[in-house]
Amino acid sequence: MLPLWFIPLFPLIGTILLGAIAVISSGSKKGPAEGIVGTLAVAFPTFAFASVVLVAYTMPVGGIRETLCNWIDIPLFRADIGFLFDGLTRVMLLFITGIGALITLYSIGYMHGDRGFARFFSYINLFLFSMIVLVLSDSLLFTFLGWEGVGLCSYLLIGFWNKDLNNCKAANKAFIVNRVGDIGFILGMLCLITIGGSSLLNYESLNAFVRMLSGDMLATVLPILCLAGVLFFVGCTGKSAQIPLLTWLPDAMAGPTPVSALIHAATMVTSGVYLLARLSSMFVLIPVVLDIITWIGLLTAFWAAVAGLFQNDIKKVLAYSTISQLGYMFMAAGVVAFDASIFHVFTHAFFKAALFLGAGAIIHALSGEQDMRKMGGMIKKTPVTACVMIFAFLAIIGFPGFAGFWSKDLILEKLYVSGPMGPALYGVALLTAVITAVYMGRLIVMTFFGSYRGSKESEAHIHEAPVCMLFPMLVLSLGSIFAGYLWAEAIGLDFFKETLAPVVGGAQNLYFAAKGGVSHVNPLIFAGLGTAAALLGIFLALVLFGGRVPQAKGSSAPEGYKATWTFLFDSVHKYCGIIPVSVLAWLAEMVVDKILQGVQWTVGSLAEILGDGTRNLQVRKLRLQIALSIAGTAALIIIVLVTGGLI
Amino acid sequence: MLLNLLVLAPFVAAILMVATSKEDPNSSSRLATLFGIGFLVLSIMLIAGGNQATTPVEWFRIPGTKGPVYYYLYSHGLGAWMVFLSTALSLVALITAGNTACKNYRNFAIGIFSLMGAMNGTFLAADAVLFFFFFEAMVIPAAVLIAGFGGSEKKKAAMTFAIYTLVGSAPMMVALWYLLTIADNSLLLSLAIAIQSLSPETQTAVLVSFLLAFLVKTPIFPFHGWQAISYAEAPAPLSAILTGAMSKAGVFGFIAWILPIFPLQMSYVTTLMWMGLFTAVYGGLMALRAKDAKKLLAFSSMGHLGLAVAGVFSLSEAMLPAVLVLLVAHGLSAGAQFFLIGIAERMTRTRELDKMGGLSSKNPVFSTLFGFAGILALAIPGTAGFVGEFTVLLSLWDMGPIAAVVAGFCLILSAAYMLRFIQKVIFGKQAREYDEGPRMTGMEGASIGIMTVLLLVFGFHPAFITNSLHLFDEAAIEEMASVSKSAEETVADSSSVVEQEPLEDGVIPLDDSNIAQLDSTLAAAGFSESERKALIEQMLAAEAAEESKTEASENE
Repeated sequence: MLPLWFIPLFPLIGTILLGAIAVISSGSKKGPAEGIVGTLAVAFPTFAFASVVLVAYTMPVGGIRETLCNWIDIPLFRADIGFLFDGLTRVMLLFITGIGALITLYSIGYMHGDRGFARFFSYINLFLFSMIVLVLSDSLLFTFLGWEGVGLCSYLLIGFWNKDLNNCKAANKAFIVNRVGDIGFILGMLCLITIGGSSLLNYESLNAFVRMLSGDMLATVLPILCLAGVLFFVGCTGKSAQIPLLTWLPDAMAGPTPVSALIHAATMVTSGVYLLARLSSMFVLIPVVLDIITWIGLLTAFWAAVAGLFQNDIKKVLAYSTISQLGYMFMAAGVVAFDASIFHVFTHAFFKAALFLGAGAIIHALSGEQDMRKMGGMIKKTPVTACVMIFAFLAIIGFPGFAGFWSKDLILEKLYVSGPMGPALYGVALLTAVITAVYMGRLIVMTFFGSYRGSKESEAHIHEAPVCMLFPMLVLSLGSIFAGYLWAEAIGLDFFKETLAPVVGGAQNLYFAAKGGVSHVNPLIFAGLGTAAALLGIFLALVLFGGRVPQAKGSSAPEGYKATWTFLFDSVHKYCGIIPVSVLAWLAEMVVDKILQGVQWTVGSLAEILGDGTRNLQVRKLRLQIALSIAGTAALIIIVLVTGGLI
Repeated sequence: MLLNLLVLAPFVAAILMVATSKEDPNSSSRLATLFGIGFLVLSIMLIAGGNQATTPVEWFRIPGTKGPVYYYLYSHGLGAWMVFLSTALSLVALITAGNTACKNYRNFAIGIFSLMGAMNGTFLAADAVLFFFFFEAMVIPAAVLIAGFGGSEKKKAAMTFAIYTLVGSAPMMVALWYLLTIADNSLLLSLAIAIQSLSPETQTAVLVSFLLAFLVKTPIFPFHGWQAISYAEAPAPLSAILTGAMSKAGVFGFIAWILPIFPLQMSYVTTLMWMGLFTAVYGGLMALRAKDAKKLLAFSSMGHLGLAVAGVFSLSEAMLPAVLVLLVAHGLSAGAQFFLIGIAERMTRTRELDKMGGLSSKNPVFSTLFGFAGILALAIPGTAGFVGEFTVLLSLWDMGPIAAVVAGFCLILSAAYMLRFIQKVIFGKQAREYDEGPRMTGMEGASIGIMTVLLLVFGFHPAFITNSLHLFDEAAIEEMASVSKSAEETVADSSSVVEQEPLEDGVIPLDDSNIAQLDSTLAAAGFSESERKALIEQMLAAEAAEESKTEASENE
């Protein structure tokens, strides 16, 4: 049996090796040989993937637990470094390491010729290490190590091309917004510690503790538990770009495209959904928080889809699409369909990564052009990429048979049956699905159909991507076609549900048992309506965007640190966060500090003047001096007599 | 022996350095580095060796006081780690100064060694007067070094620094002398007993005088006026020592002297905690606006130490290890950052953030290290900073959620200013043309690199630090008890009678009847004073004996 710590160890070794290569070779003009670096970079994620597969096959139903060593041990607080490999972790790890390895392979082609080649792969390996730790850890604190680790890697990779300050600002924004969420995570952990000591940070003890709660005890801890739930959800909104902390993700597109595919679409941004599923047994006890999650998810999904309609940057469209899809996942988690939300995480990872990699291949072919208004007709020039993207497109809009169809319809169904508000939720989610099809249809139409709208010189350079980029794209497009069949209830397949049942099934059953069962509706109706939404969306996209494409105005260079359409949340952050802090800082520097310095120098000068004065006395006016000292002594004596001594 | 070496030998080293050539910085730097390595090794031995004490030697008598002043050193986990910081940072300072402040390396080394000796004395002194002596002595070499090797406003900076800190501790001197007129001797235990006999008003007056010294030294708002200018004008290696080791003397004073001596009322504790938190926020806000790279780091240090002080006065059970890890982490990371900004200043010939930039393409190795150190200062999990800040947050959470939320706000602020700092210094394009100064040497890079690696090591295995506070296991306590007993015996032999035994008898019933009142002092006193610890041990043993007696009688 392979020890679990082997899995994160591989990318960690990769990080250190590649980092060392990057630092050592940084002095030379040419940089290290790309062949060796590329091989090393792909090898370690692949090893990790292989070991995950190995462990996944041999995993007992109950999962595997391993405690590696003690981490922090002080009075009142104790945390271990431990791993937990169960159904949920298995699913997450399989696609994280698998897609991670594929995207690393893709990056070899994409980053070809970049001076920071080794540095890039060192960061990617560090990211995979953190992400593996995030999902493999057995306690919240160790998960938090991965949680902030992926945030750090996201920062490093968004600002990878750090000569451009816009990229740096986008990276800073991503990190700081995530930090706000992370504080929520930390305070959530502190809430749990208040309830039951540091052992509650361990998932299994938490589950055991929550199961034990009932009656009066539940009533006493419920307020704190609610607070903890809200705080953890704040953490999730930061990492998974939900309202109100969604502003960083569109800016994060400043990073290299493979990074967007890996971190900002497939893996990192879904860790919020993972956390909810991991804490499912806690969340089912606090329906208030679940309602908040559902509504936030719904609003985010809807608004991000609308925002996606107005983007001209191909990566920005995909970024808003990611936010919108994450909204779907949160909706599902909010109506206690954690397995459905994880299933959507799983399928989304394939089709969104395929879309991003396809977009990356297009951008690569067009030497960095990201403006869709300057594309068009690419289907003739890059047929393979076009096929991959069209398959992924069909998957994301929920075309029958493709991956998104199964997972999205499942979520819609769960929304409908969730309760009295169900049909309303369902309606908005279905409308969002139509909008999704419209903006994705617009992307496909503007990019691949019509005629090429760029300059003549650039047209000559257009070329299909190299094999090492095409291969991962093809694998992912296969995934976006077939991944859905792991849980296709309409045709009786529910392998995925069974896999997750030991982790989230108990909590879900408990919740629905308490609610008094679920009404069953014929799934075919949902499938039909979902298909109709997808088809309507495609139709609308063809009608609206088939003929006319707006002229590109001004520079189309990607701009960091400039997100419009984030539900005005950029302005909200500006007026509620950045400006108050700046004003406070201004007050601190210009008023408080000035006053303090004034006082300080006044005291100083007074002392000096007094000193000068006494010196004058000493030198010239001996008689006065003696008189003063007599008076002083007399005063002292009087004081002592009056107060009755100092002691 | 180890303790004596660590406190006295730096002064000897400083004197020996006089013999080296002023003109040939190479030979003097080699000698200084050797000494520095020696002291670092000694400090590691000190940490590994656990708690130890020297035999008290009567030093002198202050007129008007009852007991003599002892030359008496003892080491516990807290002090030993502070000594580690002081020796480690001094060593790296001696290495980097060879290229940064090379005008007169020999004199610089002399200053650093005397500063190191004074700092070690502060952290190891068991006698209040000895502590105060070293506490004041630290200021002089530091001020001289600022005046001699500082930037353009060095005179002003040195004056501000010296006057501020000396004036700040003047009331403490008076209060200490006053206490000594009541106490049997100047050891911690007798002071703690002496303070009990005072009226509450006088207690407050004495407490405020003591607090003022430490508040200025840390510094805590509004007593921070000296800090930014001194750190900015001091040569970078010295700034690193000032913030990494010397500023810890303030926090150390709170833990090792204030908490054990004074029976603190809750209102003082909360006030001090909020002062710490306010300082943390204030430091963060000032760092956001700072235009001078070293001032930014100075305010960042102020913020972190504010958090540490807030942690100290949360008085939770987890406080001591939490604060200790935070202090060590801050010492290493802020130290590394000051060293690095010193090198950046040397290369770009400016300290202004707006005039730097673009170093990552010009000098990738340096920038990697710089970025790495910056990220370590962000308290990412897996670094020592995270362990410290998380556990301090945990302690603050006990005092109420608002305190923890404010501390969380400080963490966000620290991310904001630190990322801006990294971006301004190494990213983007070069802000102006300049002829580049000497680059980072391999030796400098390696020594700073080791500091950053240590941060990671302590981040994943903080037991290195926290366990040194666990050294009070039974065997160690017995050992210590015998040490303190022999100390008592020697004290008893010398004609000045230290009435330890009756005091113990006086304390035990007090403890039994009113545990809550002693609780605040005990938490701190338990570790900071070996005699105290021994006392507790004896008390517990006595209690256990009594219990067994009563049980036995019940059985009968």
